[in-house]
Amino acid sequence: MVLHKDGVEFREGTQMKNMLMAVFLGAAGLLLFSGPVLAHHGRSNYDVSSAATVKGTVTEFEWTNPHALIHLDVTDESGKVEKWIAETNSPNTLSRQGWNKNTVKTGDQITLVGHRVKGGGNYINFSKITFADGRVLTPAIQN
Amino acid sequence: MRNRRMQPIFLILAMLACKPVLLAQTAANPETKKSQSAIHTPDLTGVWANITDTGPTFNPKEDPSFQPWAEAKWKANKNDDPGQPSITNGRVDLDPTIASCFPTGMPRLMTEVMPFEIVQLRDRVLILFEKDYAVSHIWTDGRKLPEDPDPTYMGQSVGKWDGDTLVVDTIGLKDITWLDRRGHPHSDALHAVWRLRRVNHDRLQIDWTFDDPKAFTKPWTGRTIYRFHPDWTIEEFISCEDRLLHGGESLEQKAVKEHSQ
Repeated sequence: MVLHKDGVEFREGTQMKNMLMAVFLGAAGLLLFSGPVLAHHGRSNYDVSSAATVKGTVTEFEWTNPHALIHLDVTDESGKVEKWIAETNSPNTLSRQGWNKNTVKTGDQITLVGHRVKGGGNYINFSKITFADGRVLTPAIQN
Repeated sequence: MRNRRMQPIFLILAMLACKPVLLAQTAANPETKKSQSAIHTPDLTGVWANITDTGPTFNPKEDPSFQPWAEAKWKANKNDDPGQPSITNGRVDLDPTIASCFPTGMPRLMTEVMPFEIVQLRDRVLILFEKDYAVSHIWTDGRKLPEDPDPTYMGQSVGKWDGDTLVVDTIGLKDITWLDRRGHPHSDALHAVWRLRRVNHDRLQIDWTFDDPKAFTKPWTGRTIYRFHPDWTIEEFISCEDRLLHGGESLEQKAVKEHSQ
């Protein structure tokens, strides 16, 4: 089942279980065999049991520690705008992957895939960003 | 005319003739002898990134044998959150560097994800850490460790070469920090002995022995592995910039708080 709510898509339910399990096992394996891939505070703050997709317009890109942050406006089907914040790797790690303070710009239409913070706030940790022109970036620590 | 043409050749021959003399003189100089022996010191210089398959700890198979107070602290710090790998970071809300913005400190920095650069100088080996922009000075000039050092986050370190291995002793550490990312606690009596060896061009291996009579009942050992990154440079990472910018709370904390209100 795919739920759409306030521009946010959550993959849940039994149909997705196998896929999620595969993703989870893959992620667990990655973490197990490449421990340092873990971000500096791990994943325990985030709901890793479901993948969240957030689509919106960038209002600010903060090139800050410990995480670069994208502020974005997410508009739902009724036209209501919600403020979201999305974090990814730290600037030092991102710059090693070719990112800089201008990689994401105000006004960019983006789609993010990641995990929503536990507790249900409008905040996700993303691992994939797709720009309107089709460019896809997948920030990850590569030790 | 012919003689003039020959002049440069004579000059070169004369220089070559003198060279063995110069070399002999150089070799006889004790200072230079010392620097020549330094050439044979193993080269650990460069940027290294943690690829230890044990992730956030020095030893995933065995926890330290703790004294009761430290065991209680370890049980609190341990992250038993379902869905986490069995060997994972300690609890975020109790992590001194994440929850409270304390410096990461040694030896935990050696279990972190972010790389470090080793620089070998005449009198010491420096480790420049990307995380916290911290520096560890490992004195190799023969000095002894201080008797009763004032505790610091990076501690006091001396090192000596044992063949191809740099053997480092570190003491004088604050007990505020975690021993590793896993959340193992330690006291200010922690004594780390670490043996750094470049096992091949691309790998640095460190074997650790931790002795902490106040927190452990017996020494704890472990191993960490790092990959060489000749094309990397050390960047800058500061833990709590977001909180300083946003009134003492991270935007993540604010988002959760706003949602629960």
